[in-house]
Amino acid sequence: MTRSAHIVSRRRFLRTTGVAAAGATLLARAPAALGQQVRELNVWHTEVEPQTVKTIQDTSIAEFERKFPGFKVRQQALGWGDLNTKLLAALAAGGPPDLTHLNPFMTASLYVKNLLRPMDELIRALGENDIHEATLKLQYFDGKYYGVTHAMGATYFCERRDLREKKGVKPPETFDDMLKLCAALTEDGRYALQVPGEKLYMGFVHPAEWLASNGGTWADARTWRPQLNGKSMLEILDYLQQLNRFQPAGWSGQKYLDTQAALATGKIAMSHLSGARAIGYIEKYAPENMRDPEHFQPMLRPHGPSGQKGISALDGENWAVLTQSKYPSEAFEFLKLFYKKEHYLAYCHSVPIHLTPIFKSMLNDAAYLAHPRIKKWRLWHDVMLTALRDKRLLPLGFTRPEDNLLPFLAELDGSSIVADMVVEVMVGGKPPKAEADRAQRRAEELLTQLGHKRWS
Amino acid sequence: MRKNALAGWLLLAPSLVLLGGLVVFPIVYNAWLSLFDKHAFLPVQRFVGLGHYVYFAHDEEFWNSFGHGLVYAGTTLVLQIAIGIPTALLLNEAFRGRNLLRGIVLFPYVIPTIVAVILWKWLLNDSYGLVNHLLMALGLTRMPVAWLGKDWIMASLVITSVWQFFPFVVVTYLARLQTIPPELYEAATVDGAGAWRRFAHVTLPQTRSVLFVIVLLRSIWMFTKFDTVWLMAGDGGVSRYIRTLPVYAYARSFTYLQAGMGAALAVIMFVILIAATAVYFRVFEREEALS
Repeated sequence: MTRSAHIVSRRRFLRTTGVAAAGATLLARAPAALGQQVRELNVWHTEVEPQTVKTIQDTSIAEFERKFPGFKVRQQALGWGDLNTKLLAALAAGGPPDLTHLNPFMTASLYVKNLLRPMDELIRALGENDIHEATLKLQYFDGKYYGVTHAMGATYFCERRDLREKKGVKPPETFDDMLKLCAALTEDGRYALQVPGEKLYMGFVHPAEWLASNGGTWADARTWRPQLNGKSMLEILDYLQQLNRFQPAGWSGQKYLDTQAALATGKIAMSHLSGARAIGYIEKYAPENMRDPEHFQPMLRPHGPSGQKGISALDGENWAVLTQSKYPSEAFEFLKLFYKKEHYLAYCHSVPIHLTPIFKSMLNDAAYLAHPRIKKWRLWHDVMLTALRDKRLLPLGFTRPEDNLLPFLAELDGSSIVADMVVEVMVGGKPPKAEADRAQRRAEELLTQLGHKRWS
Repeated sequence: MRKNALAGWLLLAPSLVLLGGLVVFPIVYNAWLSLFDKHAFLPVQRFVGLGHYVYFAHDEEFWNSFGHGLVYAGTTLVLQIAIGIPTALLLNEAFRGRNLLRGIVLFPYVIPTIVAVILWKWLLNDSYGLVNHLLMALGLTRMPVAWLGKDWIMASLVITSVWQFFPFVVVTYLARLQTIPPELYEAATVDGAGAWRRFAHVTLPQTRSVLFVIVLLRSIWMFTKFDTVWLMAGDGGVSRYIRTLPVYAYARSFTYLQAGMGAALAVIMFVILIAATAVYFRVFEREEALS
């Protein structure tokens, strides 16, 4: 064959390319061209584990798309640290998702800006009385529900139970007990404890827990004046300064997952932040003969001198339908399918214990408890039930239930004011009072700038 | 004549539109934004005039960040030059494997910042990092050094940044070295000049202008460096000890959600850099005139 036989004329090339492009466009738009419009239901959530994403796809989404043939559900899993920024950017751009997870601490700020749709009908359909009280009214404003928690997790200490029992020390009830336990467990190059260094945790989630466990609050309920240099916070800072002696020197530069690795490999005896995800680390990295709840168990938080009981953070974002949602009715229909028993069970089993069901009827349901990991690590589930029963859980970043009305928690979290105070006191060894006063001044300035100043 | 001028303007128009849209407009808009108390994402804003600038004048965080930026930019600049120039001089010599070595030296500059930072954080980690492992194996320390903790985080950031950016100095300086006529060195050698005097009296004067550009560009880039600093400590508690102005501006805009304040910080950085550059130009011109 001659070379010229292979040469394609320019006209022919353009014609072929044009026809191909038109064909591709037509194929892509085929349903629309055939009069069947494909609509996209955008769903954002914060459960990034691949098995969870797949479970949602195979259960709720599959059934939704069968029931609503004109719809395609697009789910997007985001790390929850990214959620706020991305969601606010999407809202500003006028293209938010139809259905999204929200961090409870930002729900109030969206509610006051009229950005949320009520979902009373959905809550009644799911069974208002069956939803656990720890979550039911977290997004309850002006007599209406504006959110429903997807599942419940909790932040506890994860401790080397065997080491503590060898020392003959009981689980700590108070800050003082905790310091004594830490002193007993720090030996032979092993540290007792490690707090995660991320600002989100050491500068927001844990300070909220410490305050709640020591009778303190972020802000005065009436005037919203910050309470960062009050008695409660000063006691906490004093405790933290002492606690720091039992931590590795570089903790403030390490992350949550580093603390899990350090615990599993025996470098520390307790990780300060640990949910059921820690089980995955233990099963992967701990010595084989120690991968069990006899060696690793969760431990509830101690309380401070001004508090009554130790409080842990309830890790549970809520679903919300935004006023800008393009398909709100379908979003609610999707949620009904999400909470359908078999779908929801599969969802909760995708990360057992971390995704504890919100329905009271399911907490001791045989089908839920039958999962092999829950069977093996049953103690962890029981600690969760104890915390729920004793009301020792508050949503992430809350110092009391009424904090759901504070519209500035997201900004306070973002500001690093509290993180700077904690790190200066713990790592920098600065005097608690001076640092607390500085943080108080900065917080007052911030709230004034944001237009939330109600005090005189 | 007028027709030609019109044609000229018409030909310039696309570039002017692009420059105006992509360079001038963002700067002007940013300056305008800095006069408002504006939420980063929601349509909430209030005119505050120069209020943000007045606030930053007495904001402790601003001055801390400014100080960190000076330390970071100054230290990394000096070290990049101190390492980059001798390396360039070495790579200008003829020896076996020179081309391979030139490629290797360039490596840190071509890998993505995220990779460089993760690599260094892994090496310096006090639980499982190679650096501590070696230090302890050699008996230089009994306990791991907290490289990513409060006392060492700035040093770790400087090491990472110097490693990543000194190849720029090498490449730029080497390019100029290769254009110096060899006759100058030959003449100096004939006059009895040793290696040091050849460097001081031939190389340095010949490379003055390129050194000027290197110092100018690198100091601007290091002072405004965001990614390396952010990735090193991110949102961590320890970030307090390396928070520079670009990071503070980012935080004000996207975590405090105060876009107006973030814009004001950007304007302040812009003004500082313009002023520093003007002074630097003036000094250089005066020295040029003297020499």
